[in-house]
Amino acid sequence: MLALNSIREFRTRPLRTLLTVAGVAVTTAMLADMLMLGGGMTRSFGELLESRGYELRLTPSGTLPFDTEATVPGFAALRDSVEMVAGVERVAPVLAASVIAEIEGGSAAEGPERSTQALAFGMDPGDQSLYQLTEGETPGQGEVLTDSDVRAALRAEPGSTLRLRPARGGGAWGRRTTARVSGTGQFIFASRGDLQVVMRLDDLQALSSQHDQVSFAMIRIREGYEADSVRAAILARVDRVEIVTLAGVAERLTARLSYFRQIALILGTVSLFVATLLVGTLTAVSVSERLGLIAALRAIGLSRRRIVAGLAGESVVLCAIGGGIGVGLAVVVAVHLESILSDFPGLPLSVRFFVIRAESLVIAFGLLIVSGVVAGLIPALNATRMEVAEVLHREAP
Amino acid sequence: MRLAAAARVVAVAGATAPAIAAIAAAPAPARGQACPDGLEVLIERPYAEGAGVTTGSTVLVRPAVESRPCPARVAGIFEPPPDPATLNATRPRVLFHLPHLQALTGRDTDVDYFTVRVRPGADLADLARDLEPLLPGAQVLPVSEVAERSSTTFRVVSRFHTAIAGITLIAGGVFLACIMVLKVQERRVPIAASRLAGIPRRFLLWWTVTEAALLSVLGGVAGLGVGLGASSIVNAYYQRLYDTTLVFSRVTGEVVAEALLLAVVLGMAAGVFAGTRILASDPLDEIGC
Repeated sequence: MLALNSIREFRTRPLRTLLTVAGVAVTTAMLADMLMLGGGMTRSFGELLESRGYELRLTPSGTLPFDTEATVPGFAALRDSVEMVAGVERVAPVLAASVIAEIEGGSAAEGPERSTQALAFGMDPGDQSLYQLTEGETPGQGEVLTDSDVRAALRAEPGSTLRLRPARGGGAWGRRTTARVSGTGQFIFASRGDLQVVMRLDDLQALSSQHDQVSFAMIRIREGYEADSVRAAILARVDRVEIVTLAGVAERLTARLSYFRQIALILGTVSLFVATLLVGTLTAVSVSERLGLIAALRAIGLSRRRIVAGLAGESVVLCAIGGGIGVGLAVVVAVHLESILSDFPGLPLSVRFFVIRAESLVIAFGLLIVSGVVAGLIPALNATRMEVAEVLHREAP
Repeated sequence: MRLAAAARVVAVAGATAPAIAAIAAAPAPARGQACPDGLEVLIERPYAEGAGVTTGSTVLVRPAVESRPCPARVAGIFEPPPDPATLNATRPRVLFHLPHLQALTGRDTDVDYFTVRVRPGADLADLARDLEPLLPGAQVLPVSEVAERSSTTFRVVSRFHTAIAGITLIAGGVFLACIMVLKVQERRVPIAASRLAGIPRRFLLWWTVTEAALLSVLGGVAGLGVGLGASSIVNAYYQRLYDTTLVFSRVTGEVVAEALLLAVVLGMAAGVFAGTRILASDPLDEIGC
């Protein structure tokens, strides 16, 4: 009977019901999006790092990969020491240096489209931990692989030749070399606007006069070994370097974007509060309009518990409908907000601020239902505490 | 992903003060190089406080971990400028005289960038275009473009804020409409009686709209109070967190005017919406005849 009464109440006041559902839907969407934003970056970045299959990063002391131009000197000896540690399967060194690339046959004077500055990575032959080959071959001796932006900027098709020189010192008087374009790749950690190329480690070391130096190294651990214990074992052998686990890298990088986690917490809390307030207000008004009916139901023997459950159920139904719509809306809003934040400089394009996960949506929906119960219980309890006779007398026509 | 320049050198052309350099971490090893004489350094205040370094102290500096440490006298402590771009800097900033840093890092003829003061009336874009071929591999950028590029982060955050504000506005509008509908429905009998007594619909509609606008102004003023409080909390929290004098949240007259205007417009829209609904019904039905 109470359920029928609730449905009748919704139908009697369709505009009010519609507005409440709309309000709950918008606040649910906001809440779900803030839940996605709160943990999205760390998770997304962690997944990106894990996808490369290296569990540890070795960097110059006090830095993170790509943080500075600081390098680890004497890498050959260091590599030998690291590879001797039990549990280390493979060490993949990376040297990063800015280079100026020109297409053979063009020059800087001919215009910017024939010459560009790019970030070059020097890596072991065949190592694709920073990029994915999309066309051609991995770079061999005297070869370079470009990303699609460098390819487009220089019209550097596989097989063409690039002139390369280090960008430091203006690049005008330093060492220079030529390299054949071996192919094109997609760079995993590239952010918007980055121009990147990859070549063999020894080629880049020679070009940038950074012999036996690397910017960082990735370390793959054998199955059955713990990253933390291998890290400790390496640190016992080598010094003046930093070794961080993937979780550590993700944590440090996302700590720099803690603003978004904090705003997610604040806006998520405000959304929940607004939804509770909206449903609570509506339930309170709705209950006050039906005080006579509630008193009559109690007079004919309906228990307080059933009446309270029925009234709280009304607000839960409103929250469930609004929450259901809100969950769908949250996905649409998340896609829009993600498109805005994808322009955030310095972050890999594949890192997502909003990771759409069922868990976030379920938590948002669950919180809304709980808030619906709370919002419905308070006016319902107040209404059923009133004296039946007094209410019936007051509400009598 | 951008490989940040580790040594940032500022040569101040035309200034009478000595050219100074700011470094975060020096990149080039300087194995076997002698330490420059009379090395002096300025250290940023937050780091100096944490490390217990004072003016006159001697610190050891080296351009790379394997380099020989060189003693440098702390000539002073400086307050870092409130620059949002450096908020997340993880390493302390120190300032050297340019020749000292060049000697220390073995980059005697290098600078990472330099600024050029141009004569009044010069066309910056033309000048940049003319200068670039003289400096192969270097970029020449008008200062406005440098500012534009370095403010990308804040533009993105601003767009994000605008989008969030839009959603909040929708939620607020719906909430307000809901409240106005409730308020008008509460008074449907007096409104119906007024109509039957001959009071024109337009008057009743204006009554509803004015009440909604007043309610919005009151809510808006209260919201501004909350906003001012929140702004103070945000500033106090982040200034303490980052140990900076940067102002993170500023409630300007423009913001106040925009917020109040939006509140009034939304309130009036909600009032029109609710009032039109109730005035469209039959007054006899409303009073139960």
